[in-house]
Amino acid sequence: MNEIMNLNPVLLIAVPIGLAMLVPILGLMSSKIVKWVPVVGFLFNSVVSLAVLPRVLNQPIIVKIAGFAPPFGINLVAGPVGMFLAALIAVSGFLVAVYSLDYIHEGAAEKYHILFLLLLSGATGVVLTGDIFNLFVFFEILCISSYALVAYLGNRSGIEAAVKYLIQGAIGSSLLLIGIGLLYGQFGTLNMADLAQNITSFSEPSVFVPMILMVTGLGIEAAIFPLNAWLPDAHSSAPSSISAVLSGIAIEVGLYAVIRVVFTICHVTGSFFVFLVAIAVVTVLIGEMSAFGQKNIKRMLAYSSIGQIGLILFAFSLATEFGVSGGLFQMLSHTLGKVLLFLSAGYMIYRTGSMEISSFEGVGKKMPWTALFFTIGTLSIIGLPPFAGFSSKFLIIKAALAKGDLLYILLMGIVLLGTVIEGTYFFRVVQVIYFKESNNKTEPEGPPVSGLISMSVFAILVVLIGLFPNAILKILTTAASELLNNLEYIRSVLG
Amino acid sequence: MSFLQNYAYYTGAFGLILIGLFIMMTKRNYIKIIIGLSILETGVNLFLIAVGYISGGTAPIFSRSGITAEKMVDPVPQALVLTAIVIGVAVLGMALALAIRLHKHFGTLNLLEIREQRW
Amino acid sequence: MSLEILLAIAYGGAFLTYFSGKISQGLRDGAAVLLSLGTVLIVSSFYNVPAASVLYEGFLGLSLVLRMNSLAWFFAIAIVSFNALCVIYSLAYMKDRNEKDYYYFMLLLINAAMLTIVLSGDLVTFFIAWEIMSWATFLLISYNRNGALQAGIKYIVLSLIGSMCMLIGILSVYTSFNTLNISELSGQLTTASAGYKLFLLIIFSITFGIKNAVMPLHTWLPDAYTESPTPFSAVLSGMLTRMGVYGFLVILFGIVGIKSVLTLGSGFISYTKTMAWLGAITIVIPTFIAMLQNDAKKLLAWHGIGQGGYMILGIAFGTSLGMAGGIFHTLNHAIYIVLLFLSVGAVEYSTSGIRDLNSLGGLFKKMPIAFLGGFLGISGLIGVPLTNGFVSKWLIYKTLILENAPFLAFAALLGTWGTILSVYKFLHNLYLGQIPEKHKNIKKTPLAMQVPIVILSFAIILFGIMPGLPLKVINSINVAFGFSPLDVNLWGVVSEAGTLNMLNIFTALIVFGAIVWGIFRISRPATLTDQYDNYAAGAAIPKDKYHYTVEYYAPFYRMVKPFLKDIFDLLYQKVARANDFLCDNIRKIYTGYVGNYVMYIVFFMAFLIFIQLKWSVF
Repeated sequence: MNEIMNLNPVLLIAVPIGLAMLVPILGLMSSKIVKWVPVVGFLFNSVVSLAVLPRVLNQPIIVKIAGFAPPFGINLVAGPVGMFLAALIAVSGFLVAVYSLDYIHEGAAEKYHILFLLLLSGATGVVLTGDIFNLFVFFEILCISSYALVAYLGNRSGIEAAVKYLIQGAIGSSLLLIGIGLLYGQFGTLNMADLAQNITSFSEPSVFVPMILMVTGLGIEAAIFPLNAWLPDAHSSAPSSISAVLSGIAIEVGLYAVIRVVFTICHVTGSFFVFLVAIAVVTVLIGEMSAFGQKNIKRMLAYSSIGQIGLILFAFSLATEFGVSGGLFQMLSHTLGKVLLFLSAGYMIYRTGSMEISSFEGVGKKMPWTALFFTIGTLSIIGLPPFAGFSSKFLIIKAALAKGDLLYILLMGIVLLGTVIEGTYFFRVVQVIYFKESNNKTEPEGPPVSGLISMSVFAILVVLIGLFPNAILKILTTAASELLNNLEYIRSVLG
Repeated sequence: MSFLQNYAYYTGAFGLILIGLFIMMTKRNYIKIIIGLSILETGVNLFLIAVGYISGGTAPIFSRSGITAEKMVDPVPQALVLTAIVIGVAVLGMALALAIRLHKHFGTLNLLEIREQRW
Repeated sequence: MSLEILLAIAYGGAFLTYFSGKISQGLRDGAAVLLSLGTVLIVSSFYNVPAASVLYEGFLGLSLVLRMNSLAWFFAIAIVSFNALCVIYSLAYMKDRNEKDYYYFMLLLINAAMLTIVLSGDLVTFFIAWEIMSWATFLLISYNRNGALQAGIKYIVLSLIGSMCMLIGILSVYTSFNTLNISELSGQLTTASAGYKLFLLIIFSITFGIKNAVMPLHTWLPDAYTESPTPFSAVLSGMLTRMGVYGFLVILFGIVGIKSVLTLGSGFISYTKTMAWLGAITIVIPTFIAMLQNDAKKLLAWHGIGQGGYMILGIAFGTSLGMAGGIFHTLNHAIYIVLLFLSVGAVEYSTSGIRDLNSLGGLFKKMPIAFLGGFLGISGLIGVPLTNGFVSKWLIYKTLILENAPFLAFAALLGTWGTILSVYKFLHNLYLGQIPEKHKNIKKTPLAMQVPIVILSFAIILFGIMPGLPLKVINSINVAFGFSPLDVNLWGVVSEAGTLNMLNIFTALIVFGAIVWGIFRISRPATLTDQYDNYAAGAAIPKDKYHYTVEYYAPFYRMVKPFLKDIFDLLYQKVARANDFLCDNIRKIYTGYVGNYVMYIVFFMAFLIFIQLKWSVF
């Protein structure tokens, strides 16, 4: 155990990338073995990240690549936030990989596994890196592999969605790069801690412009309104396991990067947060209202992700300890809930052969477990007790009310209105699944064991975290203080 | 006029960036949008190079005699640009590959006509 | 026996029942009945035994606590008893239905959640249980498919609005006072400003008003009651809806405190006056709407709304007499409305699902037990002396008189008149008159249906003649809330506005009844004649049987119909349609053309940079 705890966090990125390179070689030997590679990789990642997580709560681990000290070399910062998200990515990646064992059985499976490994190692890289250009590189790994995965099925909708996603994503990364270049030109450093140390006021145009460029660039991946037009297309056209990862992880990683720029590098204060809160509320409303009338289940889930991202951004923009820890908690519960929803919807779509919600009539009887998991995910996403979503929503509302400002209470009310809309359309789907009899008498069987295992683990996690939220509350509060207190971050990195 | 002379690289770089963005915003043909994208990327790369460039500077090699640090060009942006070019090529390759599939499915590259995914 | 074990049995029982259903049907039925009877026994063992325990230390920094006091006991015993009766009833009623495991699971889960609500000693536990109750109720309302789906959505939307309000209320209390324990809060809230108290009361009133179906938040109720499986309609109407009353009691008297409530506002524009008037409106309009219904369950559902108004009217004034009336009426209403639903359910069972009042009638001889239940049920609903409804209505009327509220008293009376008319229609169209041919050979009422009906009928008479039994418990609730206790004896109440002694009334009625019976004995006995042996002024006597039940109250119906539209329901439907329209159009911003999307990106960025460079707003 001790050996695992002392492992270098760089392995969390290196191992999946290395395995991704190994996949084609293994593919030559046997096609069966390939699909186990992501499972092994993310099992390793889960074990390592969960073992290291308690250690970083006391003291962040700073990894110097090639031995250069932080401002000069590239470094990894395995702080509470980074490790928390890395663990989340690793565990969900592992479970989705288990799900994919049987779910991905046609097409170029080998490429799927390579891209899947790359996507999640890119995500892990983004959350662990301490260097802003390095962040850009990992971001591109994440983005390019997700463009390819959206187009993986090669059908009309997939290609169309991938094209649109690529155009917007490419603009986003160019904007991000311009922002990085502007910052480097002024401060001569790429290290995030060093940048944070040098930036004294974010409202100077020389800092504000690069910040906005970066926020916009990253905001495209984070699906902040109005930069999120690619999301419903891409998430609904990808294979369900990929939609799960994109919705549950990729956009949250994007949001993490936005938050890192806003909180740590630029150390934003004051009225910019009011702007962010307003954007968040609009994102919630647009997302939930767009989801309301959807007939396509995956599109509905995708729009609901926009709403959830809005809620997370809302929590972060409160910029209090309660708010930030509530936001991180919401990230966790959204990942678990939304991945669960996409995975269970995946098999329902596969067995009924249609993405239309109306075609799910009678699924509750034919695939009882999948329907149950879907329902649990639904209740958690809406934020009903005793599931994980309740605790996070509870913390967020508490944080908003603790601000003591009437404005925040009103905005909170609008967000809760979004929740009511969300509840309505989700409960309609639950009704279709359970309480409508289907006309066709074919007997679709349940999902295979691998799918059941991965979905049930997600469902159990949703229930357990809902019942025992205190287990992770300490991690969240430490992480929140890391995000809010950038001096602490600078000191731990630069010494 | 002296502004343009002093900041010729920046002006050129941001000019390219704006041209690229304009093309991507207004053109309907996917290939043209890809061209816009690569113009945008070229602009960004040029901008990054310009950040580190010193007029009349030389390569930062300390072993050569008679060269002081003030006269050296910053090597970091050049390394960044190399990475950015590689990434740009990957995106471009991806985009062109998608263009082939797009044409196969829709028989057109006019994005105004390819609007099945909306609302 | 501690409270945790009680809850463990309640929740565990739900799961146990579900999984035993996977083994055998009989085992599941046995488990459901035994477990629900078991909870009745355990709860009754808590009589006059106050208890408190910590359920969960440190849930997000709060501790979830349970407590048992007289108020909790009163509601808890009612919840578990009605649940047990409905479970027994379901054995017969649900016999031929599918997915019974699911049905029993949800029924017991809802029961457990309601039990948690009344036992909760802090507002978080209250909220968690409230939400579990809400979504489980939604899942069970939808059980009947078809029309039930719409009813379920209606219910869950209103319920979600209510719970979001409650969440804001609870957390605002928490941020202000740093505790959510009900007993700790009651001391602290007295120091809060009047505006804050009013805010709290309004926000909680929305929540509990929705659950208790106070006008204008009642629209979920008629559909939900009608479309649920009948035993669950009984649970829904008996206790689940009245969780709203419980919530009002806790927030008004347990947390804010009656002294503060009474000082909010002055004259006509005060919180209590508004509540009372909403209660009065809730009595009158739904009762008259009920008269127009042709579906037996819908008729009862509208009465369910109307009777809820009496409870609000009782507790709104915050006098010990009114409190006793309101709380007692909650219990009484539960007894007779459950009884009536079970009676309708028996008819539904025997006629394989018919509950249309136009096509039934004359079932009196075929189903005497169900008739007994129906008869005593409507007597209670009207408030005929010697039934329980009389006592609680008497208490409420006395309160209104003492409080100098003649208009409210008139509204309450008007409600009673409407009730008399409409429940007579109910009784007549189901049980009296001539029996239609096709119902000549209907199924007999099974024993499992008869037992709950008989027990409840007995309870109506018992509490009608000896109101002192429940009033003693209610008195201790009153004392706990800081009201002066009423002078209660077994047969009635002694109060400044007059004395109620059911024993005297009982004796008087016995004597009167004996006289009437004697007169009937000595006069000429009635003879039965054939329908066609009749003089019809020379006109041809129709060969068909008469069927009086069709279009009952038709002239009246034509007269009042334009005035008794459920305008609020229409309004909400308009809002829902507007919402649909808005939602369908707002997503048109995702045009599908990439050029637009790029434009959004560039404009977003340019806008921010521009306003900062120009005005330095950030």
